Order: sequence, then C-alpha cells, then structure tokens
Amino acid sequence: MAATSGVIEARNVFKAFVARSHRQQRAFLALHAVTLSVAPGRFVSFVGPSGCGKSTLLNMVAGLIRPTQGEIWYKSRPVGGINTDVGYITQDDNLLPWRTLVENVEVALEFRGVAQAERHSRAERYIARVGLAGFEHHYPHELSGGMRKRTALIRTLIYEPDVILMDEPFGPLDAQTRVILQDELLKLWEGSGKTIVFVTHDLVEAIALSDEIVLFSRAPGTIKRVYEVPLARPRDVFRVHADPRFPAFYDQLWRDLKEEISQMDLEGAVHGHG
Amino acid sequence: MATGDLAVERGAARLAAGARLLEDVERDDVVRRRRDRRSTAIGRLLFAAAFFAAWELSSGRIVDQFFVSKPSAIAASWWAMLTKESLLYHLQFTIVEALAGYLIGAVAGLIFGFALARSELVYRIVEPFVVGFYGIPRIALAPLFILWFGIGISSKIAVAAVMVFFIVFINTIAGIRAAPPQLLQVARVMGASEWDLVRKVIFPAATPFIIAALQITVPQAMIGAIVGEFISSNRGVGHLLSRAAGWLDTPGLFAGIFTLLVVVLLMNLGITSLGNHLMRWNPKHHSLKDVP
Ligand SMILES: Nc1ncnc2c1ncn2[C@@H]1O[C@H](COP(=O)(O)OP(=O)(O)O)[C@@H](O)[C@H]1O
Ligand SMILES: [Mg+2]
Repeated sequence: MAATSGVIEARNVFKAFVARSHRQQRAFLALHAVTLSVAPGRFVSFVGPSGCGKSTLLNMVAGLIRPTQGEIWYKSRPVGGINTDVGYITQDDNLLPWRTLVENVEVALEFRGVAQAERHSRAERYIARVGLAGFEHHYPHELSGGMRKRTALIRTLIYEPDVILMDEPFGPLDAQTRVILQDELLKLWEGSGKTIVFVTHDLVEAIALSDEIVLFSRAPGTIKRVYEVPLARPRDVFRVHADPRFPAFYDQLWRDLKEEISQMDLEGAVHGHG
Repeated sequence: MATGDLAVERGAARLAAGARLLEDVERDDVVRRRRDRRSTAIGRLLFAAAFFAAWELSSGRIVDQFFVSKPSAIAASWWAMLTKESLLYHLQFTIVEALAGYLIGAVAGLIFGFALARSELVYRIVEPFVVGFYGIPRIALAPLFILWFGIGISSKIAVAAVMVFFIVFINTIAGIRAAPPQLLQVARVMGASEWDLVRKVIFPAATPFIIAALQITVPQAMIGAIVGEFISSNRGVGHLLSRAAGWLDTPGLFAGIFTLLVVVLLMNLGITSLGNHLMRWNPKHHSLKDVP
C-alpha cells in the first residue's frame, strides 16, 4: 500500500470514547492503530462487525470528530475542522422535512452560494437522471423510501465532491429497491473519477460495488485485511452471483469476517434478519 | 402490427378509464369537503344559539340575574358602551398595549432564545436563572412596572411583554435543542455557515415549538394589558371593567369581557394562519385522506 498517494489517509489513528454511567466514567477504544490509504477514484468498502468503529472513521474523515491520537489526512493535509470537500450520505436520509424535493436537492448549492438559475438547472438535470421528475414539489413525507434515498444521493452528487462517504446508505431499504439503487449508484459513479468510501454490512453489496474491501476486526476496530475485488468492470449488480470468481471470494471474505463476530453477535444477526 | 395497434388502443382505453376515475374521486372530495365545512359552521351556530338561549332562559329563573346577567341585557349594555362610553376609544389603547407587548415579548424571546441555546456552556450557566425567573408569578411584576414606567401605556406594554417573553423564550430554547443533531452535521459537511444553519435548519426545526408558544401567548398578552389597566389607569377596556365592577354593573362586565374575547379570537386567527403557512411541510398539519 503506497501510504503517500492516498486522497484519504489514516495514520495510526486511535479513537477513545468515554461511557458515562451513574457517577462513573469509563473510557474505551473504538479504533485501534488504524492505518489506511484510499487511492483517488477508487470505490472502497468497509466491512466489519457492528460497533467496530466504521462510522467513527467516516466521521473523522468528514471532520465531525477528531482522532484521539494519530492523524487523518485528506488530499495531503491533516483534517482540521469540518471537511466540506467531501459528500456524506448516512443511513438516515437526513432530508430537511420542511423543504420540498427540489429544495432539498439544491440546499448544498445554496450553502455554497451558487446562483439560483444555476441551482435550478443543475437540480433539474440530476432529478431527471434518477427518475424523480414530476416529484420536485413533494415534501419528504410524501415520498417513498427509495425516492428519499435517491434525493439524498443526488443532493450530495450535485455539488460534485471528489470524495463521497456513504455509511450503510441502502441499509433501511427493501431488497429490490436496494439492488436497483446499487445499480444506479454504479452508473452514476463509473467514469466520474470520484472516490467512494462505502460502509456496509452486506458482503454481496460490498463485492458487487467495490474495487477494494477493507475488513475491520471486532471492537476496538483495527484493519484486519484489505482485499482487491477480483471482478471485472463494468459490473452487473443483478448478476454478480453468476460471476465465476464470486463464490470463492465471497467464502473467503465471510470466513474472515465470521472469526470476528462473537457467538453472541451471530445469534443476534440470526434473529435480526429472521 | 394489427395486434400491436390493438394493445395500444386498449392501453389508451385503460388510461382514459383511470383518468375518469380520478376525476370522480376529486369531485367527490370537493363535495365532501364542502359538506364538512357546512356541517361545522351550522354546528357552531347551533351550539352558540343553544348556549345563549339556555343563559337567557335560566337567568332570573334558576340563577340570580344579578350575578349572571343575561345575553339581552349584555347586548344592550354593550351598545351603550359603544355609543355613550366610547368603547372603541378605550379598546384602541388595550389593543395597542396587548399587540405591542406581544410583539416586543415575542421578538425578545426569539432573539434571546437563539442567542442562548446555541452555546452549550452559556446555556448551562444561565439555565437555572431562567427557570427561576420563569417561576415568578409575572402578574406580580405589574405594580413594579407601574412604578418604573408610570401609569401610561408603556407600563401595560411592559407587563404584556413579560407575560409573552418567558413562554416564547423557553419554547424557543426547547425547539432549538430538539433540532436533530444529524441534520446539523450533514448540513455542516455540505458547507453550511453558522448563519445558514440557524436560518435553514435550526429555525425551521424549532417552528413547531415557536408557533405553539406564539399561539398560547396571545391571551397572555391580553391578560398583561388588562391587569396593568386594573391596577391603575384611566383608559382602556380594563379601566371600563373595573369601573363597571365598582358600579356592580354585571351586564357591563360581561360586555367588556365579550369584547376582549372577540379581540383575542381575531389575534389568534392571524397567528394560526401564519403557523399553518410555516408548518405546511409537517405531515401532522396535512389531512391526507385516502379514498375508500
Ligand atoms: N459520539 C460517541 N460517543 C460515545 N461513544 C461512541 C460515539 N460514537 C460511537 N461510539 C462508540 O464507538 C463504537 C464504534 O461505533 P461506530 O463507529 O458507530 O461503529 P460501526 O459504525 O462500525 O457499527 C461503539 O461502541 C459506539 O458505541
Ligand atoms: Mg455505523
């Protein structure tokens, strides 16, 4: 791993939190000695047991929280304050409920002082691209889950950040909508030159989308292994299973992940997905 | 080729049938809404009529007319007030006091609320003091304000303003603190400035609280103005009321009270329509009705 060419670099990052209960505080580590480099233009997925610090790492790249020790570098500079150069899409779509779809799509451009005419024309283009034309003036509560997610996606793409952080973005969606959105995401990304860091708990999703998969150990999170996804591009997310290299790669990934998931978590996962 | 045409035709027929159905549903909806509105209006009229009729008939028969008067006497007394005691002249002072107090109290409450709630440290420092001041029965400040501002209009404005201020202030803080932190974080990453956050995220998120406070403080402003006038004044509806009380003029008292009631209702109407406009994004404010 060339530790100097990454657009995002974590250099020996530790993150501690303090859990406060009645009159007692206990510090614990969420991330332990994480060193990582994400090369520009790549689609990189983070997978690992729940609670291992994946969201924490994304929050640090976005500058929302600071490492306790170590440094996060972004485009050859340490991340100081809020990193407005990245786009951040979370599991909740976080649309502003008091704004219509088009107003939500335009909000980042407003923050960035883009003129109204320019905002409208860009919004129109992106809205059409994900098939939301005709719903511009609906409020978020009048949209379906998939439509809200598309809105959240394009309101970030519209200001063309070079790096997009996505934290389990398709988690709450039904299986069909999920695959459709994965497909749309790949089409929007391919050839764009953008870097995507994508957190998911779904190994198939990680394989279908990524160039590279980073596997985290259980908490406190460390990087256990980094994989190069052996599938060729362009990919057909609807048929990744059919790729001859898929089964062996999936098995290896799952075996490595399984070691990290304690027996308790396994039971939880079985019940959770039941 | 021919079957293709047929399919297109069938598709068109289905579309037309669908459009007709939607038209019917819309027409039914208009009719139903009109009927609902009419029933509400008629229901209200009947309720008022029954209320006043019961009052009129029971007064002097079941309860002593000296204490409860009766609608016909009140109407006569109101007319006398209007024509002989220059009710409108007095009303104008009361309205100005209540309105000015309301605006000053509400704006100050909003400004201080925003200033305070945005800093966690400042908030924690002043919170107990705010709660303490809030605990003062604000009416008890009225004599003090008359001492400070004299018996003119400004002391009543001050009383009305404190009645409004604390409620708006406390609700504003509650509303701001209820803004979802994830929304703020995402907006920050999208490049929002502090002013953007206040204007485009925090304020809208706090509007349900603020609107509620603006609604419940309308009568509070009126209470402040009237109490101020009770204590010392030679003008205003409060003055008319205390004079009527001095003369043991029950119909006069009721006439004054009804006048105030109407004024407060009208002010409330204004605030409610403002609230409905600001809250149009809120699903609770819509009546999304599905169709049987
Ligand atoms: N702001 C915070 N305060 C305290 N603890 C936190 C905070 N954010 C995350 N944590 C803790 O850090 C650990 C890692 O959390 P997270 O990064 O959300 O995991 P993941 O996204 O991998 O599931 C968890 O134990 C979580 O409870
Ligand atoms: Mg997470």
